[in-house]
Amino acid sequence: MSASFLRMAFLVSLGLCALGLLWRVSAWLRVRIGPDARDIPFHQRLLAAVRGTLATLVSRRTPGVLKAFVLDVFLQRRLFGGSRLRWLGHLLIVNGFLLLLVMHALARLVTAKLYPDYASTHDPWLFLRNVFGAVVVVGIVMVVAGRLRRPPSPPRPQRPMDRVFTALVAVVLLSGFLLEATKVASPKAFYRMANEYIGSTDPEELLPLRLAWATDFGVAFPDLQGAPDPDKLAEGRELHHDACASCHSPPGSSAFVSYPISRVLAPIAEPLDGIDADTWLMYLHLAACFLGLILLPFTRFIHVLADPVSLLANGAASAGPLSPVGRANRRALAIDACVDCRLCDDRCSVAPIARSLGNPALLPSHKLLATHAVATNPRWLDRQAGHARRIAEGAVLCTTCGRCTDRCPVGIDLADLWVAGRADLARAGQPSPAQWVRERSALDWDEALAVQTAAQNPVGPLSSRRETYSACVQCQTCTNVCPVVAHGGEEPGGMDLTPQKVMNLLRLGMIDLAIGSGMVWDCATCYQCQEHCPEGIRVTDVMLELRELGYRRLGDTRERRQRE
Amino acid sequence: MTQTQPKTWDVAVVGAGMAGMAASLFAAERGLSCLQIGNGGGLLFASGLLDLLAVHPVAGRRLWDNPFEALAMLRRDQPDHPLARVDDATMRAAFQSFTTALGAAGMPYAPPGDRNANVLTSLGTAKPTYGVPRTMSAGVGALAGRPPCLLLDFRGLREFSARQIVATIGDRWPGLRMARVEFPGAETTAELYAAHMAVALESGDFRERTIARVRPLLGDAHAVGFPAVLGLARSGAVHAAFEEALGVPVFEIPTMPTSVPGLRLNSALEQAVVTRGVHRMLRANVTSAAFDGTAVLTLDGVPGGETVSARTVVLATGRFTGRGLTAGQQRVTESLLGLPVQQPASRAAWHSRDFLDPAGHAVNRAGLATDDEFRPLESDGRPAWPGLFAVGSILAGQDWMREKCGAGLALGTARLAVDRIARQLGVPGPLAEAG
Repeated sequence: MSASFLRMAFLVSLGLCALGLLWRVSAWLRVRIGPDARDIPFHQRLLAAVRGTLATLVSRRTPGVLKAFVLDVFLQRRLFGGSRLRWLGHLLIVNGFLLLLVMHALARLVTAKLYPDYASTHDPWLFLRNVFGAVVVVGIVMVVAGRLRRPPSPPRPQRPMDRVFTALVAVVLLSGFLLEATKVASPKAFYRMANEYIGSTDPEELLPLRLAWATDFGVAFPDLQGAPDPDKLAEGRELHHDACASCHSPPGSSAFVSYPISRVLAPIAEPLDGIDADTWLMYLHLAACFLGLILLPFTRFIHVLADPVSLLANGAASAGPLSPVGRANRRALAIDACVDCRLCDDRCSVAPIARSLGNPALLPSHKLLATHAVATNPRWLDRQAGHARRIAEGAVLCTTCGRCTDRCPVGIDLADLWVAGRADLARAGQPSPAQWVRERSALDWDEALAVQTAAQNPVGPLSSRRETYSACVQCQTCTNVCPVVAHGGEEPGGMDLTPQKVMNLLRLGMIDLAIGSGMVWDCATCYQCQEHCPEGIRVTDVMLELRELGYRRLGDTRERRQRE
Repeated sequence: MTQTQPKTWDVAVVGAGMAGMAASLFAAERGLSCLQIGNGGGLLFASGLLDLLAVHPVAGRRLWDNPFEALAMLRRDQPDHPLARVDDATMRAAFQSFTTALGAAGMPYAPPGDRNANVLTSLGTAKPTYGVPRTMSAGVGALAGRPPCLLLDFRGLREFSARQIVATIGDRWPGLRMARVEFPGAETTAELYAAHMAVALESGDFRERTIARVRPLLGDAHAVGFPAVLGLARSGAVHAAFEEALGVPVFEIPTMPTSVPGLRLNSALEQAVVTRGVHRMLRANVTSAAFDGTAVLTLDGVPGGETVSARTVVLATGRFTGRGLTAGQQRVTESLLGLPVQQPASRAAWHSRDFLDPAGHAVNRAGLATDDEFRPLESDGRPAWPGLFAVGSILAGQDWMREKCGAGLALGTARLAVDRIARQLGVPGPLAEAG
């Protein structure tokens, strides 16, 4: 493979990667999540981003930004607070890869410029390459072990690109070690170098040097078995010292990962040479690197770029509240900053409800994907056949308690995202029940429900019992203390029903009419009515139960109507 | 509350209506440790007016200007009437303490004197009563003198119509006018609720906007009447602000229950008893009681089925609405302890044939027979337990609604019972105010 082709391939990959990055990064300014982001034009968001970046670089907030950089980006403080094992593993992977990239992959651009006598097969480089590779492997083992140790969580849909990329990383690591090991054991590689530097490929002529390399470097010459002649070996070592030593350190101790592998490969070194294994491994290694480079912007590993941006923006913003434009940018960034670590799921207040409902759409890690998908693709929700309501459930049941935000190691403001996402869901046809129940009047719902047979209608343990409300004397105390009635609700004319009228409907057996009323759905569940009721009626508990019944019954009716 | 909870209470009051509140208040004022058990709520139906005694005898519908004269007549005519056992001094002391406590809790009353007052009702009728909240007292003078007056109502407040009042009483009150105004901020709202208006009027903004709409309507009015919505917790201040801004006396007209004055009374009494150290268990219900050296009451609504013990017990569980008495198919029974109930001989005798019989219905005089200290009697005529007292509407021999003596019955009997309890427990007698 010619150097020019390599350079070409590298430059093409780099160019594609840059284009991909540009596309992805521009999405941080293009994607609109939430109603307040809808009307902000691109140039305003670009301006805010540029301004924010400048403000981050030079301002009074610089100390905060520096602190964020050191603690959050470099030391990954927020991950440290979650799981030590995962933190350490992640730190090893990131830094191992980073060092490999700089020292090894970009050797010509960086290492060789800094150290003119750089040779990849000479210490400390040979040793360090093994160290860094081993560090990454150890990091991966720790992260995987951490995942296995965690209680099983419902799988989050993954982008296929992520799997491909993960596989490519494995190929890069594995082919790197194998390539090194193959070359160590390869007689062919020896002859190629001998030809280049000594001008001979004659096995007999090179015998002393071969003996030295077989003994000290582990080259697996099939004809050199048994103890070598000490004189010839000494002669070979001398020749090695003159011709090779400036570029080659003995791998036995330096290449502590690939040398043991080369011992395994030694018996088949000749057949491997026969198929040009080292060349193919080199192709594989480079191809995987280039392909990985091209794909990187389209995987979740874009987080290597998005996370520092997110964390630094946090550090810069911690002084005050974000502008609406800034918020829009942060929301768009969130999907790329997410590392899918699931720490948010662990802390989610409604995770127990997600488990009991069997609906993982309630979990933050799932909601993040849905929120982004709904915002970027208007037809996405329609394609989630049968799941749209479950996804909407996730948005409605979220209490926006903010525990996910507190926990997020990359500082995404998840709670803000949930609130914004609700509005997008509503636009996409899945508003909260309190909203869609208003699509028709209580009388309309009542009529629609009347079509169903009684057997289909679930009943609530409270509302189905006469004793629950039979003591009601319609004294209006519940209405008098109700803050929702005092506010008057959204419709002109005030609330359609008041709590005491809802109780009266129940007394009259008109539960279907009650569950479609605005009162039931606007109830703030403050329990004032229940606390004040002179007859001790559980007014609020009844309201909650009616909502539960209504959600199921009206929800089914609504879905049926939408299908028709 | 800094007071620690004693193992055995001096008094356990069962009930949180007018009588239970009065008993708790008086007991606490005496320095007795007091536990009050039972759901509140009955007070929400109160009008805020405190009747002492206005009608006697009910059959003749004789109205009394001086309630103490009526009391004297009652003692002579019906010595078994609970109020016949309450002397004037005790009654005056009861009203004095009660209204003073309410005033301190933000619901001031005109000082109680010797006379009943006529209060204009939302039906346009005159209701004789004794204790009148300050927010309503200007209406008493207006109704008596009938100078030109303006009555206001609010569109959407369905329970109160100034037009109806003028229609009823206008021919006897030529200068009486009415006007309807929009409640600020509710111009598009179909129905208004008094309590929410009352809370809104506690904010200066709503008050000023309301006043601005009323001022141009004043004309020659010497006084202005409003439905009772002038503030909830701070009605005294809201009322004063209206009077100052309008420059004429302003009075509230009580509305139908459950009314804002009922809510005020309920929360003012709650505040009064709690600040005096009464321990309240509102969510608990007494399910049974055992009497020995002390009374041991078993409660539900308390985790673990708690029991409490008390040296004396005041039963203030009310009549039928308060569920102190249960009307069965044939007999009326006392709900909590199964005490004997004095009642008509048979079900047939419960009610008069005439629903509006001026004499009322016999079942409405059913209740507990007591000795002179309001201790309920067993069928053998002896007190059921020396430390057990019954107060308020559960007592036999009265028809407080027709006699217009609800508060008098609650306050007077509670005061007397607490006096006797204090004596029984060896606590110094009533202070000078009782004289």
